Amino acid sequence: MSESALDRTARALDLVPYLLEHQGISIPELAEAFGVSEKQINDDLVLIHMCGLPGYTPLELIDMFYEDGYVTVSDPQSFKKPRSMNKIEMTSLLVSLDLLKSLRTDDVAKEIEALKIKLQENMRFENPFVVVQNMENTEMVEAIERAIAKSTLLRINYASGTKDKTSVRDILPIEIYVANGSTYLNAWCQSSKGDRTFRLDRILSYEIIEGSVVNETRESSVQAVDSLPIELLVSKSARNFIEDNRAIIGHIQEGEQLRIELNPIDREWLVRTILGFGGQIEVSKPKELALEVVSRARAIKESY
Amino acid sequence: MSDRKTERLINLTLALLATKRYLKKSEILANVFGYEGTQEAKERMFERDKDDLRSLGIEIEVGDLDPFFEDEPGYKIPQKSYELNVPNLTGRELALISIAANFWNDSVLAPNAQSGIRKLQSLGIPATLDFEFRMKYRFENPTFVLEQLTKAIGQKSRVSFDYDSTSLKERHLEPYRIVFWNGYWYLIGMDLDRAAVRLFKLSRFLGELTLSKKKNEFEIPLDFNVADHLPKVNVEIVKSATIRIRKEAGILLRNRGQLISEENDFGTYEIAYENEVTFLRELIWHGVNVQIVEPAELKSALLDLLNGVLK
Repeated sequence: MSESALDRTARALDLVPYLLEHQGISIPELAEAFGVSEKQINDDLVLIHMCGLPGYTPLELIDMFYEDGYVTVSDPQSFKKPRSMNKIEMTSLLVSLDLLKSLRTDDVAKEIEALKIKLQENMRFENPFVVVQNMENTEMVEAIERAIAKSTLLRINYASGTKDKTSVRDILPIEIYVANGSTYLNAWCQSSKGDRTFRLDRILSYEIIEGSVVNETRESSVQAVDSLPIELLVSKSARNFIEDNRAIIGHIQEGEQLRIELNPIDREWLVRTILGFGGQIEVSKPKELALEVVSRARAIKESY
Repeated sequence: MSDRKTERLINLTLALLATKRYLKKSEILANVFGYEGTQEAKERMFERDKDDLRSLGIEIEVGDLDPFFEDEPGYKIPQKSYELNVPNLTGRELALISIAANFWNDSVLAPNAQSGIRKLQSLGIPATLDFEFRMKYRFENPTFVLEQLTKAIGQKSRVSFDYDSTSLKERHLEPYRIVFWNGYWYLIGMDLDRAAVRLFKLSRFLGELTLSKKKNEFEIPLDFNVADHLPKVNVEIVKSATIRIRKEAGILLRNRGQLISEENDFGTYEIAYENEVTFLRELIWHGVNVQIVEPAELKSALLDLLNGVLK
């Protein structure tokens, strides 16, 4: 409701040339392409239908048909071509291309460079973004992408992030994402029969299993995660713990120290991680966990 | 209200785009549908509409009609500047850029990337999907300040913001570039309090970012290069430690190190590291399966951490 007339105008100006190239598109598809509700698209179309050139006879109006929820434009008037891109649209696309390029070593990287030059040909433009290439395991990334594209299984040897163990797993890669300086892979894990997340730098080796059969029968959660609430006191000098683990933090209470509540989480990982902060993170709840941290610290100390 | 204004803006755009010659203001006000009220009200409306269209990035050219109408300028939108023109864009390139745009996922710049893609898709080029890959990357939301920073850098306006650090909290900056590096977003610019180029992590910005109302307040030095200002990870002296690791444990550590000697359950490795804090955390993570042999300072730093837990 609070949409400005200007935003709406911008969308309307883009709708007509889009329709011209997507004749007979359905209202739901159109709504999805423009990221608005179907009602909004309907309202926009009704409005556009009334616009045209001075004279405003049917000959001078933008002409379109709807039939059973499908839209066709027969006379777009002067809106035959899309509008040129504004700076922020161009910026978003150029950065996307840079990010994509930073993950590739193959010919695609060269194609992207050529494409960027093409896009900027008609726009004098200072790009405020700089993407610094520093991805190391591009070869593995490319193999995983092929596995995603072809839905093939990968057999990986993986070093666990919660326990000091490795395991061989057959996985079906689904999605790669970058967060907190690391690259992760979401996958269906055939070995544990559930969705799992893997950190790429913990994958010790991988091989493609050709002609593999994916069996997505889910088993109820194998790892029972303890759901007793965990509360930590984090001193401000340890706040990168919070930055790096946003996903597991339920609630933060500011103060001299930060009091944080954690979502259910693997305790083994938590204990090992807390130890490395040397007292800057304290467990205030539950008590057993606090005692566990202390007894581990003592054990390591005694080993010296 | 929004309906009428939108309708009028579309009609105005159409009229200015369709005309070959400049249209006089009086012609526009008399003929373009939607201008109502007193002469003065219509004129004010028209002035606002012009500004609005320009803010959408539409170029409105102003020209003199002919010598007899000196006092009345004419207007038109040059088709060439209005229309998107990407010469020889191929279907493969269109597919590539659509895949790349998925990077933004649901972050603040996603709608902009999507509207850019929609415009390219309106050029009438069929996208081909013959790639061997389907990128499905996503980044953690690179925070709400990206859009504002893009604007600030574009118009060269200073910014101020609260920054989460132990020393100075409020920062004043001439923003130069937004940098994606090592998986994090940074802002780099001239820190006015310190009179030096500094790097700020966007995830540590607190609250609102304030843009100065002025434009063109600074120049980015011609020889400015982001790479010169990134912490010199590679140049920094890489330190080395001797570590005992129990067999079957610490595979990532062992892979990184050089095996020196072996005894019953342990192997001794030489391992290089850059950052002492993160290295110690990694060692402690392995519990009793990993022990520092040398250097002594590293060992005592580790014991300090443990004593911190035990205090």
